[in-house]
Order: sequence, then structure tokens, then C-alpha cells
Amino acid sequence: MSNIIELRDVWKRYDTGGEVVEALKDVHFHAEPGEFVSVMGPSGSGKSTMLNVLGLLDTPSEGTVLLDGQDVTDLSDREMTTQRKRFIGFIFQSFHLIPTLSALENVEVPTLFGDDPTARDRATELLERVGLGDRLDHRPDQLSGGQKQRVAIARALINEPQILLADEPTGNLDQETGRSVLDLFDEIRREDDVAVIAVTHDPQLSNYTDRTVELIDGRIQ
Amino acid sequence: MSPLDDLFRRVPALLMARRNLSRNRIRTSLAVLGIIIGVLAIASLGMFGTTLRAGATQQLGDIGNEISISPNLQEGVEELTDRDVDQIRRAVTDGSVVPVRSETLRVGRGDRQTVATVYGMENPGAIYEAEDGRVPDRLRKDALVGSGTATLLDVEPGNTISVDGRTYRVSAVLAQQQGLSLVNPNNAVVVPLDDVNGTGYSQVVVNAESGQAANESAVAIRESLNDREERVSVFELQTITSGINQFFGILNTFLIGIGSISLVVAGVSILNVMLMSTIERRQEIGVLRAVGVQRGDVVRMILAEAGLLGVTGGLIGAVLAVGAGVVLNAVVLNDPLSTFQAANFVYIFLAVVFGVGTSVLSGLYPAWKAANERPVEALRK
Repeated sequence: MSNIIELRDVWKRYDTGGEVVEALKDVHFHAEPGEFVSVMGPSGSGKSTMLNVLGLLDTPSEGTVLLDGQDVTDLSDREMTTQRKRFIGFIFQSFHLIPTLSALENVEVPTLFGDDPTARDRATELLERVGLGDRLDHRPDQLSGGQKQRVAIARALINEPQILLADEPTGNLDQETGRSVLDLFDEIRREDDVAVIAVTHDPQLSNYTDRTVELIDGRIQ
Repeated sequence: MSPLDDLFRRVPALLMARRNLSRNRIRTSLAVLGIIIGVLAIASLGMFGTTLRAGATQQLGDIGNEISISPNLQEGVEELTDRDVDQIRRAVTDGSVVPVRSETLRVGRGDRQTVATVYGMENPGAIYEAEDGRVPDRLRKDALVGSGTATLLDVEPGNTISVDGRTYRVSAVLAQQQGLSLVNPNNAVVVPLDDVNGTGYSQVVVNAESGQAANESAVAIRESLNDREERVSVFELQTITSGINQFFGILNTFLIGIGSISLVVAGVSILNVMLMSTIERRQEIGVLRAVGVQRGDVVRMILAEAGLLGVTGGLIGAVLAVGAGVVLNAVVLNDPLSTFQAANFVYIFLAVVFGVGTSVLSGLYPAWKAANERPVEALRK
């Protein structure tokens, strides 16, 4: 099966006041549709940088990023934003919902700027699917941590992405809630053939993943 | 779906802006208050100018319609002749010509005596109105008394007065002239032309139908009488009125300038508010960018916030300005309804446009800054 996303010989260097820090060193990585990959490693190992490069939020200093077989390394900001919207859904550790919008509106956010007449129906369906059909008009501060993360997952899925990138998705949740979120990931990748790539410290993730990639000091082990 | 929801669906930037502004209501209200004050200052100072001008014009009266022709003493012309008057009559197409001869004489009634200006006129009815009695079309043997002189001598129509030894029946007491006048009757007496010594005229007054007709007459008279030599000097009161108008124009600009300063201050406060709120929302904007919202949309969203502040402040300011105008006009002109005239609405409109413009302008930098931050940086905890 072909890769939906691939990193080839990727290096990422930061210039921090005269000293060059190498956050990623010659990273090769790929994920297939429907695959659940976890990236583990101590903090400062370059996990977040790798996730940002995979999510087209950051460009590598060297190497190539292939998205659905296409080289997307040197796209403009505008094109990258368009590709992100089309292919990638993001889930963050601290949910990052917009506090002034209802659950339903939060799910709609990625579709808000652009003519998308079916967005509201899709958002409603997604919230029902993640078990929040009765919380559509609740604001984030009226939701529990697990519910917020479910809203965030629904938001990530609104544009029917092929890749789901999660940064410590269970980091702010208790174990049981975390497990239910992971169950949801498992369901999504099976039913929608979405590649899920999660950066995590959480060891219970390995019960769900197809494989685990370990990143230490910017290198994949 | 309500019309507002419909608008929000069509312009999502507005929905986001509306929600963001409701986040910190006090801060939003203070920013709006700044715009309200600015708009109110510009609009009400502009209207204040209009009111002043109206008040001054009311005081001046219809003086723009009169012109006065007098002999040019510098060229050695001592008085105007009958030939001059004929030429003036021919030059004036639309208005009445009143040749005037004047002297300062002793006027009395019984044992009350005074010295007054005595005008000799054939047709004083063209420029004067009676307060009491009747002003005849042709003044043949009676006298007209100005209001000041009448009070002084205790005269009313039907009485007899003596002017330089001659006796006249008074046919009218003239209405007091409020504004400026070329031949002020208030402290004078008007008698038939031939009763004042001399053959020529000290001045000729032309009372035209309108300011424009007066101006045209003045031009025609200059062409006709001052063709070869500067025989007469022509004095138009219109030059005074236009001077006064010009003065009030400058005054108005000055007042509005002062008002604009307060709007600039309001603009700075909006800049501050928007900058603070975009810095606070850094992560959120980073998330928006991550989930596929373009830079341009972020700019639009923040400009919509600034614009909403401006529109809200502008509208409230406009309503308050109308209120202030009504009070002002009621006090100064005794006519609150004169607030509702075109000139005032121009000021209000301009003030609102300035208010919205200032707000949007102040939103530009925060919008640009927020949109250009890299999402990676914004999302970093």
C-alpha cells in the first residue's frame, strides 16, 4: 500500500543565537492509510518538531516531505494552508477549542471561511458520532476534559482528512477517559482509513498502535 | 434563521469578531466609548459651527441684497449727478434705485430738540418698512422718523416735527433695522428729496431682489460709470456676508480639527485593545491557521472586530450628536428643529465615516501581526 505521508532524509536545524541546534537528524518516516503509529521519546527529542513538519506547519531545513505522493516541501504559505485543510486533522494536548464558540461552532471552524453548505450537518453528525449529540450548544467551559477532546477530534475530522496528527492526545486526560479517546482513534482509522500519528509519553497507547517509532535526540532508533 | 444568523453565516469573520468582542465586555465597551466620544466631538462641533453661522446670519439680516454707490472723493467727484442716477437705473435690471441726499440738521418737537441725520429720498418705501403708520410710495411732503429719534422726541404718526425750521407731518415711524444697513434709519429722519439742500446725491442705494442680482447690478454699474475714470465706488454688503461665511468656514474646520484629535486618541486605544486581544489569542489564532484558515481570513476577522467597534461607536455617537444638536439649537437659536438640516447630517455622516475608518485603520497592524505569526510559534506552549 502506498504511503499517505512520508519524510525522506529530513533535517531540521534551529539557529539559537549563534548555536545551531539539530532537532531532527536524517529522519525517515512514513505512514499508510489506516495505520496507527505512535512516536515516543523523551522531551526535547524532536517529537513535536517532527509532528510540525508532518503537519506542514514547519518546513525542514533539508530533505523532502511527500503528501499523498506529492512533494510538498517548498509550497507557499497559502498552498500549505490549503493542503493542511484538505489532508490533515490536528489534535492538541490542551484541546485548543475557541472558548466563545459552541461545540458545534468549534467543529465547524475549519470550514468557516469558505462556502461549505453541508458543514453544519457534518459537524452535527460528527458530534453525535463522538457521543456529544446532546452537547451541541455547550461552550467549552461547560464540557469536561474528555468531552473537549472529543469536540477537538470532531473538529479534526470535519474536512474528512486522510491523516490525523495528535500531540499528546491523552496528556490532559485521566486513564479511563484517555482510553475512550484512543478507542475513538481506533474506530476512526478502521472505518475511515485515516492514518493516525500520535506523539506521546503514554505507554497505554502501544496497546492500540500498529507500530511505535522511538525518537531520541532527533534520530529515529 | 434570523437575519443576523444569516449574515454571520455569509460573513463568518463577523461571527468570530462578534464573539471575540463579547469576551471582555468592559474592554470592548471602553474602546467603543473612545469612538463614541470622538464621533460625538466631531459631529457636535461641526453642528455647533452651523448653529453659530445661522445665529450670525440671523443677526445680519438680508443685507446681502443691498449695494451702495457713492462718489469717488479721491478722483475729485464730490457728488453724484442726475446723469449718474440715470445710468445706474439703466444698469440695474432687477431692483429699486434710491438716490439719497443727506445732511445733519436740528430736529425738534415742541421743546424736545436733537441733532439728527436727515435723508432726502423720493422713494424710501423701497428700502424701509413702517413700524407704525404708512410709508408712502412717493415721499412728497411728509416725514418719516427712525425708531431711535421717535423715542427721543416722543413722536408717533400724525404728530408734527420741525426739521431745520420747516414743519412736517409724520406719516410713519420706521421699523428698527436689526442688522447692518447702508442707510441706517434708526437715528435719522427721512424727508422729501428736494427739501435737503443741494443738486446732487451723496449716495445711491440699490435694493435688489437677491444677493446674486445685487452682485450683477454692482458689476453692471462699475462697467457703466467707471468706464473712463473711477467716478464712483460701489460697496456691496455681500462682500461682508461672504467674508463672514468664510470666517465661519474656517472656524468650523478648526472645531472639527479639534474633534478629530479625540478620534485619533480613540484610534490609538483601539490599536491597543486589538493588539492586546490578538496577543492573548495567539494560540487560538495559531489553531485557526493549523486547521486551514488562511492568513487573509485571519486579517479579515480582526479587521471585522475593529470595524464592529467603529460601527457601534459611530452609530451611538451619531445618535448622541443629534441629541446634543437639538439641545444646542434650542438654547442658541430657540429652534431645536434646525438641527435636522442637510449640513448637519453631512457632519454626522463624516464623523461616523471617520470613526469607522479610524477603527479599521487601527486594526490593520494587529491584524497583520496576528496573521503573519507562524502557527508553530503561536502553538508553542
